[in-house]
Amino acid sequence: MRLIRTKAAFAAAALAFSLAACGEAGNDDEGKDLEGKEDAAASFEDGTRMKELAEAGSVTIGHKTDQPGVGFLAAGDDAPTGFDIEIAKILAAELGIDSADIKWVETISDNREPFLKEGENGKVDLVLASYSITDERRAEVGQAGPYMETGQQLLVKSDSDIDDVADVKGKEVCSVTGSTSLEQIEAQGAKPVGFEAYSDCVEKVLDGTVEAMTTDGTILMGYAAQNEGELKVVGEEFSEERIGVGYSLNNPEMCQFINDTLEKAFEDGSWEEAFTSTLGKSGVETPEPPAVDECPAA
Amino acid sequence: MTALEKQPEAPAAGEPLVVLDGVNKWFGKLHVLQDINISIKRGEVVVVIGPSGSGKSTLCRAINRLETIDQGSIALDGDPLPQEGKALAALRADVGMVFQSFNLFAHKTILENVTLGPIKVRKKPKAEAEAKARELLDRVGVGVQAEKYPAQLSGGQQQRVAIARALAMEPKVMLFDEPTSALDPEMIKEVLDVMVSLAKGGMTMIVVTHEMGFARTAADRVIFMSDGAIVEENTPHEFFTNPQSARAKDFLGKILKH
Amino acid sequence: MEAVLDNIGLVGWAFAHTVLLFLFSGVLSLLLGTFLVALRVGPVVVLQRAAATYVTVVRNTPLLIILMFFQFAAPKLGVTFNFIDVQWGEVSMTSFFGAAVVSLSLYTSTFVCEALRSGVNSVPLGQAEAARAIGLSFGGVMSQVVLPQAYRASVPPLASVQIALLKNTTVAGVFGVMEALARMRILTNNFTGQKIGIFLAFAIVFVVLVEVLSFLASRLERRWRIA
Repeated sequence: MRLIRTKAAFAAAALAFSLAACGEAGNDDEGKDLEGKEDAAASFEDGTRMKELAEAGSVTIGHKTDQPGVGFLAAGDDAPTGFDIEIAKILAAELGIDSADIKWVETISDNREPFLKEGENGKVDLVLASYSITDERRAEVGQAGPYMETGQQLLVKSDSDIDDVADVKGKEVCSVTGSTSLEQIEAQGAKPVGFEAYSDCVEKVLDGTVEAMTTDGTILMGYAAQNEGELKVVGEEFSEERIGVGYSLNNPEMCQFINDTLEKAFEDGSWEEAFTSTLGKSGVETPEPPAVDECPAA
Repeated sequence: MTALEKQPEAPAAGEPLVVLDGVNKWFGKLHVLQDINISIKRGEVVVVIGPSGSGKSTLCRAINRLETIDQGSIALDGDPLPQEGKALAALRADVGMVFQSFNLFAHKTILENVTLGPIKVRKKPKAEAEAKARELLDRVGVGVQAEKYPAQLSGGQQQRVAIARALAMEPKVMLFDEPTSALDPEMIKEVLDVMVSLAKGGMTMIVVTHEMGFARTAADRVIFMSDGAIVEENTPHEFFTNPQSARAKDFLGKILKH
Repeated sequence: MEAVLDNIGLVGWAFAHTVLLFLFSGVLSLLLGTFLVALRVGPVVVLQRAAATYVTVVRNTPLLIILMFFQFAAPKLGVTFNFIDVQWGEVSMTSFFGAAVVSLSLYTSTFVCEALRSGVNSVPLGQAEAARAIGLSFGGVMSQVVLPQAYRASVPPLASVQIALLKNTTVAGVFGVMEALARMRILTNNFTGQKIGIFLAFAIVFVVLVEVLSFLASRLERRWRIA
């Protein structure tokens, strides 16, 4: 009996996963692959990491795999999808690298800094993994950008009375264990409930165990779109998350390159395209692109 | 008459107390009890002897159903042995058992060993059970050891405690399964002395033993078993002086030479 | 380390969750494990098999899957712990705490059962026979004679099982309980530069807790050995 029930649970989980995959990345539109710019290597000065990467023709990028619309890897797929991924492809193209030549490496919240710091050039060259810019992190690694500004909101059942963060005081609110979101909702007076993945929290909201979950609004919108009619995103953003690109402090020259490339993408429409083909599919309007921070003096 | 010799119920001597009728038991193909018929009267002391492997221990253990039997019936005081459960536990409470290896409860003091049954099974008040236990321990000569643990006592002392433990239940019959076989020679006598005084007090006893001295002094009847069957049954005097069967003669010849 | 000291209150409450998870699950697992071993060595064949099957299935299932079952599958079958709602200081004992305690108890009870079973097997057969011979029922034989001796013989393996339980409580950190691991991950996420210090601080507290357990176990073992 127990076995059968466990199997049922697994089937349910698998189903949820495949739904997630469909919702996010309809087969026809998985975000498009970009071709590397011609003669990119020539445009970089000798000795820069950009030149090395351009000449090598390959770049390693750390990303998330569990955030639909942002950084997501469906079971069985080779390449991840989402807004972070599209931005990564734009950066790679500027280095003259085809999207197909990017080496994708999964990073989780806890290993983003270690991956960037490992060895001389890092186990990964860049991290685009819903990586909030903070002073603490900037002491450890480089963070260029931001390329996205978002804020923490609440995801509740469609018929919920919760309108705002003030309504969850003393209530249990779910987010990923150890995440900034969980800490911030605790600071707002809610009881923090940590799970391994956002999808777990979605399930806990759906089955009524908790009344709300919280994280960046962009991520919540993806789930609301997946569970249309059952879940809704409520409340003003009660925190500011500035999502940036992580790089190794051994290669400070990367910062300016990343910022320039991002600004170019903001202007030429490729940033907007990246948004509409991923997060924008949940029906959100494309926001204004953020202003990038100045790079630290070399 | 000492307290040890006092009997809980006035024995109506002569009336059968333990009756085995056509008892058979097999261990796999081995026929360990072969058509055993015995009737033991109230107050009678029966000594069962025989070479090892003759089934005498199994017979003893079958009487309080530590061993099951395959055929036949065993009755105690007119009632057949119950199969399981509470009735069986109640029967066992009425049958005292003394084991070759003492089997005192290792985690309980000597006093607790003796009072466990009266308190938990007979539901006696603790104070009463302890008073009775101390009296019994004094009688078997280990009263001063009451607060010690079994491992702190000699084998002979432990076996006397085991007898006191059985007596505390005020049993109708006492079974002794080779009670002195695990003892050093100098301790055998102290245990046999206790058993002899019990026998003299009129306790119904079934004793499996190699102690021929005990059989001669205390037994009313000797049963000789060999290969799972009763070969010979007689008064001690007749049996030891004039054995009928070849097997008994052979056995006695070996035993008495040493 | 600084990060831990600055947040010592939060860290303390997190370990309060850890210790409470351990205490509730520890007691329940000992009770359930004792019950299971009684079934396993008991005279009723059907119950023997049922207990053996239970032990085999649950013991061989990863703890994570048991927690997943109670967190994600059981609610769909109507099994929830939503009735639990106790708030003590910053300790929040709700459905998540309940599901974690149940999962940890069910899982650990199988190990308790096996540890005790080895203890029961180490009790000489003659002890149970002597207990039966004075007329004790099966329950009396077990509770008065066999189990007390089995517990004494099982103290070292039971201590290992309970130490494993203490560490296993960390799994609850990703199932909604704000225990030590969950708090640690918030700190490591927040104070990226102090990761190693934070890891060390939490590891030291766990080592201390385990040492306390080991100490109690060895005291118990010594006290019972004299007896």
